[in-house]
Amino acid sequence: MDPLAFALNPADYGLPTREQLVAYRIWDTHFHGFNATTDPLGQFHANNLYVRRMGIERSITLEAGGTLRAPLQPATHDAAVRALLVKERSWLSGITPIDPGFPDESCAKMEAWIRRGPCIGIKYVGGNSRGISCSHPNNDPIIRLATELEATIYIHTWLKVGGTPRGPGRGNLPGESTPQDVVALARRFPDVRFICGHSGGDWELGVRVVRPQPNVLLEFAGSDPHSGAVDFAARELGAERLVWGGHGPSRSYATELAKVLESDLSHADRLKVFGGNFRHLAAPILRRQGIPFEL
Amino acid sequence: MNTPSLPRRRFLRQTAAAGAVVALARAGAPTSPPAPAPDAPPGIVDTHVTLFRWPFRRLKYDATPALVAKLRRHRITEAWAGTHEALLHKDLAGANERLAAECRAHGAGLLRPFGSVNLAWPDWEEDLRRCHEEHRMPGLRLFPGYQTFDLSHPDLGRLIQLTAERGLILQIVFQMEDPRVHHPLLSLPVIDARPLVPLLERTPAARVQLLHFAGNVAGTDLRALVDRTGAWFEFSRWEGNGRLGQLIRPGPGGARPPVPESRVLFGSHAPYFPVETGLLRLFESPLDAETLHALMHRNARRLLPA
Repeated sequence: MDPLAFALNPADYGLPTREQLVAYRIWDTHFHGFNATTDPLGQFHANNLYVRRMGIERSITLEAGGTLRAPLQPATHDAAVRALLVKERSWLSGITPIDPGFPDESCAKMEAWIRRGPCIGIKYVGGNSRGISCSHPNNDPIIRLATELEATIYIHTWLKVGGTPRGPGRGNLPGESTPQDVVALARRFPDVRFICGHSGGDWELGVRVVRPQPNVLLEFAGSDPHSGAVDFAARELGAERLVWGGHGPSRSYATELAKVLESDLSHADRLKVFGGNFRHLAAPILRRQGIPFEL
Repeated sequence: MNTPSLPRRRFLRQTAAAGAVVALARAGAPTSPPAPAPDAPPGIVDTHVTLFRWPFRRLKYDATPALVAKLRRHRITEAWAGTHEALLHKDLAGANERLAAECRAHGAGLLRPFGSVNLAWPDWEEDLRRCHEEHRMPGLRLFPGYQTFDLSHPDLGRLIQLTAERGLILQIVFQMEDPRVHHPLLSLPVIDARPLVPLLERTPAARVQLLHFAGNVAGTDLRALVDRTGAWFEFSRWEGNGRLGQLIRPGPGGARPPVPESRVLFGSHAPYFPVETGLLRLFESPLDAETLHALMHRNARRLLPA
């Protein structure tokens, strides 16, 4: 059995065929390629079947250098990941996680992995040991360097319900940013564009938080697929401010693709969301890094 | 400036080329197919849809005619429908009556009503009787947590026994939405599946299906349910790339799969989830046609004949 072939025709079920998925030119801006404790490289290779099967054109891993649990601590597989980012550059890119609790060390890591390495951006992970969110002044030197490098800036955000009294965001981890933190940071850097990850965690609230801040884009991976969520985000923000992520392998491409495929977006807008918007955002650093791509 | 070197895109295009003409021609065909031909693609039995208003926001397809049209567009030929009213309403007799009427009025042969009883409310056995005898429902759906009981409730064994005696299917919903995005006023317990195991062992004739169930992190509850009971499952909560295939296909060296393919049914969790999510899961995992037929309709037909 050809592992890329579908046994039945998806078009018979109101779904795009694999050819149509390929034609969407899907760039997965939220790829947990190496986010495994025991065998990160094995996970990466095992997941490639699904990358190819679902027609993903480019995967952008969030774990280039260190791990999400310890972004600034070198990982044993760092060299292998770095080599893969060079060897597989036709379809694989990386952004490197940083920790605003340690701005100097974060900048040093950006120098190593972006200026002198293959990466195209940075990621703020979901919490940190010093409890420093992305709105803290610590972040300013990080953002200034990212701007100089033309790096993309992805910020994990959530609004977990919890606390006493219970409320959205009061269940977040120490240092886990909210969409409000992203807006506060984006106001200080109005000429820099930021990606607010996970649609703020709670999309009904997160979308409205970032709406007035035009230099904030919204990525909506890593949460359950809620019918109507992408339509809502497109109405409030415009399709130009949405970027797609797959969040695999912990999330299913089926989950994340369905969010867009169920929406009422036009074909042209789907092309933007699935990859066009991110390619425009990342074009300067893709060119700087010599990564082959077509807008 | 764009670069001419695009090996990845070229690879994708080349691997997509086989059958592309036929597939694209089909994709552009009229959306209303003619009467099914003998070799027509199989229809799907969706064992997990829910009618009426979700209590916390309007859903895109919460109007039944719109939901039915949406399901038909995706070749879903039968849908087992519960009611969102059963989550918080106290008058479940009224909720069940409205569900039965809605399925008759708008279902057009597609919707099969699954009413509900609430073990925490009085006279639930009469609700069960009405669902079966008056509304001719093929089964019931429970929403533990929302209905303020969990699976250690002392009456659950009796409910399982009564549904078995009447030949009813009992569906149990383990989660409706991610607790991280619950309305702050809502504080629901995590539903522990383990009390089900001895109850189902004592009632082997029971036909119980777990909805939106992934099991605990260690997988011990899923394993116990698979090994010691005859419970059925749907896969709307089986998250992760290829997860469906990984759970039902033999492992390396022909190792037994975690869940027998014969006990897994299609469930979309629409209209809360997009119908497309469940459909795409069928194609994401490399499954052969026989397995797809089993998941799409054959297993459901064994649990509930047409």
